Amino acid sequence: MRLSFPYMGPTIVYAKLFELLGHDVVMPPKPDKEIIDLGVKYSPEFACFPFKVITGIYLKLMDKNLDALVTSGGHGPCRAGYYGEVHKKILQDLGHEVEIIVIDSPHDDYKYFYEVIKRLKGDSSWLQVGRVIKIVYELTKALDEIEKKIEILRAYNDKGTINKLWMQAQEDFYQIKNTAEIKEIKNKYLNKLIKFEDSIPVEAERYKIGIIGEIYVVMEESINNQIEEKVNRFGFEVERSQYLTNWIRENAFPFLDRDLEKIEKKGEEFIEIGIGGHAQGNIGHAINFKEEGFDGIIHLKPFGCLPELVSQSVMDDLSEKYEIPVLTISIDEQTADANVLTRVEAFLDMIREKNYREVM
Amino acid sequence: MKKRKIGIPRALLYYYYFPFWLKLFDELNLEPIISDSTSRDLLNKGVKKSLSEICVPIKVMIGHVLNLDQKDVDYIFMPRFRSLKKDVVLCPKFLGLPDMIRHSLPGLKTEVIADQIDSKSDDIAKFDNHQKLSKTLNIPKREMKSALKKATDFWQRYRDLLFKGYLIDDFAGIEELEILEEVITKFENDPKPPQSRDQNLEAPVNEEVVDIAVIGYVYNIFDQYINMDIINKLKEMGVRVHTFSMVAEDIIEKELSNLRKPMFWEFTNKLYGAAEHYLKNDGIDGVIHLTAFGCGPDSMLGQILEVDAKEYEKTFMTLRIDEQTGESHIITRIEAFIDLMRLKKENN
Repeated sequence: MRLSFPYMGPTIVYAKLFELLGHDVVMPPKPDKEIIDLGVKYSPEFACFPFKVITGIYLKLMDKNLDALVTSGGHGPCRAGYYGEVHKKILQDLGHEVEIIVIDSPHDDYKYFYEVIKRLKGDSSWLQVGRVIKIVYELTKALDEIEKKIEILRAYNDKGTINKLWMQAQEDFYQIKNTAEIKEIKNKYLNKLIKFEDSIPVEAERYKIGIIGEIYVVMEESINNQIEEKVNRFGFEVERSQYLTNWIRENAFPFLDRDLEKIEKKGEEFIEIGIGGHAQGNIGHAINFKEEGFDGIIHLKPFGCLPELVSQSVMDDLSEKYEIPVLTISIDEQTADANVLTRVEAFLDMIREKNYREVM
Repeated sequence: MKKRKIGIPRALLYYYYFPFWLKLFDELNLEPIISDSTSRDLLNKGVKKSLSEICVPIKVMIGHVLNLDQKDVDYIFMPRFRSLKKDVVLCPKFLGLPDMIRHSLPGLKTEVIADQIDSKSDDIAKFDNHQKLSKTLNIPKREMKSALKKATDFWQRYRDLLFKGYLIDDFAGIEELEILEEVITKFENDPKPPQSRDQNLEAPVNEEVVDIAVIGYVYNIFDQYINMDIINKLKEMGVRVHTFSMVAEDIIEKELSNLRKPMFWEFTNKLYGAAEHYLKNDGIDGVIHLTAFGCGPDSMLGQILEVDAKEYEKTFMTLRIDEQTGESHIITRIEAFIDLMRLKKENN
């Protein structure tokens, strides 16, 4: 099948997955002003921002002769689980004849899930599918490992140099065919990064910011105004609550990951039951960041995001109780780069100032 | 012994369940205190204490909770509605409502009783759904169960009248159980049909009566302040008003089974089922989707209905209400909408 998918985070992972399964993959365009404008124009006004961005990406792909768009579903109650169904309506209404394949949890509708998987697997044998999944998972882990390093080193080194290395790494990873190559490339870039590690100061002088929030705006830098780079620019390290590895583990092998579950459980103190999206988990991550000695939390969410509005509502109380500063930023098509930059800068200044006073 | 006072916020699902709660608290020998009707002042207080981008109904709810806190009640009763059907939940904001109240209103002095409601149907009378209430107020399980049974029977009578075509508006202003009982009995024996089924209805001078389905959540279409009293305005203009609460459950279920995947939110699904039913119905001239600023589920539902209305060639309009909607714009828009339908009718 000739197919594409929404753009989020390390897109090469999904591309690799479908390519290894023998599909003809069209890379989706990275969201930019034009795509966002297009998406906003054809989406409901109060749809959340990720929905609009994805509408834009889909419409931009419409002249590529695709057989299908593949996206993930879910059982809510966050709206993201229903994107696929509404996107179908919108594309149909505009006269585009492309299929949208929604990968839902097998728990919701086993037969449908099986049909979808059978089609995506194409001519590959189940053994091959197993191999492909292994490769893709290893690839994701490698990418995340390097990215976590980048998020630290960029705080103390020339941004351009580090970013360039990161870009090269992603390009190299795109060429891999098996797990041995993944390991080789990973080690190559970890070695390249070693010489920058001298620049990391002693523990007491390191400042760390945890980024939590809705998965799309947290993971996709072209949407969140490159927030991580901005924080790094002021000499602060960053770590996110969301990495693709987590997402894959959570959705594909939920039995594997007890550590992550433990962190997310901590959120029950403020949000007693699961309310959809990652709201409860994010609260857990915020508490965990504090326990790990982070100096502040940046909470990102799309404007009007249902679950994250609940977490924002409890955030003041959390911030007070755990003595950790929190900055919440709502992101939508009207978010201006300068605005985000100013707010981040003021927030980080405040943290430094506070720390300085405490030391005195 | 003095009766203990239990406050019920007149917001969100109040309009759907208030007969149940009035009867329940009466049986338990408690004095229910209902918050004042929504007003400018009450809403402003809610707005001040909530996040600016949260939806209007939640702001209204917070206003009502603050209002009750001023009323010297012993408890505020605000259940956490999680589910009214297997595998379907309510909007995340309903799920997190008690958490939001607890952590964003630190000044609240009244204890909030927030039982979690996990039900298989709209009937919420299970004892498990009222454990906290029973524990906090020291009510023995047996007494609680018997009160719940009476409450649900009473609520069922109300629900049957709604299915028969009565509007929630016909009851919602009533705060006294005795009066409510009288009204329900009166309607049950009334030979005259309710407004929505009245074939002899007369419109103002020489105009034709039109049938409009107003699709919206109970807390948007029956809070007369927040929606500028749209239901009565429509009635005055000679409109038979239809709402989702008049559509039988099996019709809604049938419409929902046409979706590959129903939505995740209970009342959004109900609205969808009812709306599809009305879109196909020749007796309905037009459909108004009444939604509140910032409503997430409605952003999805609205898009689907808009496309479907085009397909069924039904006149369709979205009306959005927020904390500062001007009255005149609502009137202008519904007037234009009704004119359009009358014109269509004449041309046919």
